[in-house]
Amino acid sequence: MNEAADRRGHSRFFVCRAEALPPGERVVREVDGRSIGVFNVDGRFFALHNRCPHRGGPLCLGPVTGTTLRSDDFRYVYGRAGRVLRCAWHGWEFEIESGRALVDPKVRAKTFPVEVDDGDVYVLV
Amino acid sequence: MIDCDVHNSWASSRELLPYLDPYSRDFLARGELPGGRDSFPHAHQPWLHPEGFLRTDAIPPDGGPPGSSYELLREQLLDRYDLEYAILTGDEAIEVSTLANARLAAALARAANDWTIDTWLSRDARLKGSLVVAPQDPHAAAAEIRRLGDHPDFVQVLVSTGAQRPYGDPFYHPIWDAAAEVDLPIAAHLGGQGGVNANPTGCGPPTFFFEAHALLCESGIGHVASLIAHGIFEKWPNLHFVLIECGVAWLPAILWRLDADYKALRKEAPWLTMLPSEYAARHIRLTTQPLEQPAELRHLWTLLEAIDGENTLLFASDYPHWDFDDPERLQVPPAWKERIFGENARELYRLPKGAEATHAAAEPRGA
Repeated sequence: MNEAADRRGHSRFFVCRAEALPPGERVVREVDGRSIGVFNVDGRFFALHNRCPHRGGPLCLGPVTGTTLRSDDFRYVYGRAGRVLRCAWHGWEFEIESGRALVDPKVRAKTFPVEVDDGDVYVLV
Repeated sequence: MIDCDVHNSWASSRELLPYLDPYSRDFLARGELPGGRDSFPHAHQPWLHPEGFLRTDAIPPDGGPPGSSYELLREQLLDRYDLEYAILTGDEAIEVSTLANARLAAALARAANDWTIDTWLSRDARLKGSLVVAPQDPHAAAAEIRRLGDHPDFVQVLVSTGAQRPYGDPFYHPIWDAAAEVDLPIAAHLGGQGGVNANPTGCGPPTFFFEAHALLCESGIGHVASLIAHGIFEKWPNLHFVLIECGVAWLPAILWRLDADYKALRKEAPWLTMLPSEYAARHIRLTTQPLEQPAELRHLWTLLEAIDGENTLLFASDYPHWDFDDPERLQVPPAWKERIFGENARELYRLPKGAEATHAAAEPRGA
């Protein structure tokens, strides 16, 4: 595991080669004593702490899905496909990009910056 | 003081004859009735009260059923407790919900409403009425709401808690639509547990009356959950729902559960913009009787705090039924009394202050 501190004090940890993490896929790694999930959402990479802010469940082991969008005409309008992570335990929905819970945006899963450097994916912790 | 559950009764269902269409009049005059002549068409719940469910001291001198004499109701309730208003909920009328014949049910509800105007509401300014509808035909119910919803003395629409499905179901939306149009709350009173309403409790009918009575809350729970889940209060944001005689202490636990489950499964109801408990606090009111009274009152009061009981509870006596709550003995947190015994109902039903004065002026009408 490569490691280097950036100027904000983050340490950089190698996760995998970018081609090993195609769109729609995820890897979950132990990084610096923490379990972190790294997700490829349409070619962009996001990292979330594998610990749900609801009850501490393994958030990053849950399904990546879409969901019903807020609707005021009492119909189901499906959207956000591939951008929602449901916790493996109780099924709370989180926006992968921001870590925010859909039901209450004040509740957030911890996120980490991700860098791609020469085809290598790094998470900054 | 405002009493939000007072049962006025007819001495005989034949009092409704002048208000019925010919088909329904024939039915009352010659058709099969569940308790013989004078009884009201309805299906009975599968358990029976071993002593009858009425206060035996409320039988009028003429021997009619309790609640059938205005003079006695006035003496035992209105004057005895110096009520500012009594919200009448009728007695057997809501049982029309048990009938398979929805046309007959709607006709009986219409007759009961007209009878209520003539027999009670025109008699004493302290009396306010509930507009009974038969929910098994929601369009007929909506028509009845539009027919009488502007009458100044009807303060709510009333159905039984016994129902063929929970009231948030889109099947019933015509009823909510009409109530919103005439700007009246919808109330559900315990009852209608028989006939086409085949699910009085979830695991099958209880055996004994006392056993059933302790489970009064069950169908009320189902309606509360359904209204919130189906977004009734998003679709009609000015409406209120009043749950009558279903107890109170279960509500915080159910709302905690609804909140928790909604947080995980919000995708099922993406029309909601608030937690279930927030909808309940804004839109659902509960009458107190029969208020749970544990040995340690603080146990109850802690629960009531969790549902903002000061602002969501409406005092009700249930006169003249056997489980009547005497307002002089009912224990609620002292600081909440003004709201529970009057102000919450006044705001919900938009009742002007000073009906007693109006009543004094109107008194000769009823004399």
